[in-house]
Amino acid sequence: MSLRGDVVIRWEEVSVPTELPEVRDEISYQRVVMNSGSTWDYTPVHFDPYYAEKQGHPGIFVNTMHIAGFADRIATDWAGPCSRVVRRKMRLAGSIYAGDTMVGRARVVAKPAPGLVELQIDVVNQRDELCCPVELTLQLPG
Amino acid sequence: MGFGAGIGVTSNPISYRLAFGAYEDALRMVGVTSEPRVAGTVVSAARIQMFAATVQDANPSYWDADFATRTWGGLLAPPALLMGWLIPLPWEPGGRPPGAAIALRVPLPGTTIVNAANEAEFPLPVVDGDRLTIVEEVVSVSPEKRSKLGVGHFIETLDTFTRQDGAVVATNRNTLFRFTPPATMQSAAMRRSGG
Repeated sequence: MSLRGDVVIRWEEVSVPTELPEVRDEISYQRVVMNSGSTWDYTPVHFDPYYAEKQGHPGIFVNTMHIAGFADRIATDWAGPCSRVVRRKMRLAGSIYAGDTMVGRARVVAKPAPGLVELQIDVVNQRDELCCPVELTLQLPG
Repeated sequence: MGFGAGIGVTSNPISYRLAFGAYEDALRMVGVTSEPRVAGTVVSAARIQMFAATVQDANPSYWDADFATRTWGGLLAPPALLMGWLIPLPWEPGGRPPGAAIALRVPLPGTTIVNAANEAEFPLPVVDGDRLTIVEEVVSVSPEKRSKLGVGHFIETLDTFTRQDGAVVATNRNTLFRFTPPATMQSAAMRRSGG
């Protein structure tokens, strides 16, 4: 009965604002291919570099679900596995291409109701270009 | 279902399907709600873990069946994979063409798509073994806009996901940009790829 990373943050203990540690993730070609494989999203810009170039992109890029999964991972790694994402709002401002590094900078911005914590997570690339601002609400164990 | 009929749905060579038409055709789909569509497969540990490996998420809710069952009632479906449960595989037996998401069936001139925004809410956890059903609605189609990628229209849709007992487990509001890239980009890419 393993419980890896048995960090459990309780709602009462959270102070606003709190900066979370930066998370960096190198997105190899394989990871972008795994993205189509796991989400079943075979829109060609996610797996066909020639098609992506014709659409004006430098290469293939991960889809919305992948960026959402990165944001969720940052939130629940911080709050522990008894927390759950109950809302997530994201704007796709730029793409994370194969070969890029996805960087997540998160902070706690509010405690809107008992048990709920709101995070702002900026997903940027290795050039510090904002690719996806995320607002995320976590439910924490009480 | 009322939509799709009479609209030229073209299967492009790369397997996903866009409906083509004018902005006026698109506006006729605003407010249209799809028939409920049931996921072809149930939520499964294999797909949960394939996705968790893709985003390198070690959360035991996705990996540790004992922990997940005590905490959620089963291995937890990653919230981020929500849309993925209702995407059909790109090939199915019998030559049955996979059904496209409603946003792709909105007739417009744009030749390609990119996602612009997404807002999802998850009132209840989804777990291993659940079978999800989706109802999709076209909320709005914007007038023509220019972005850095090209000229096109923003399509806002609202998906409601229920599980086998009828409970709403998630809603998903998505904005897709349906556009045509500038010709210069296309020819530059073709030159690079020798095409």
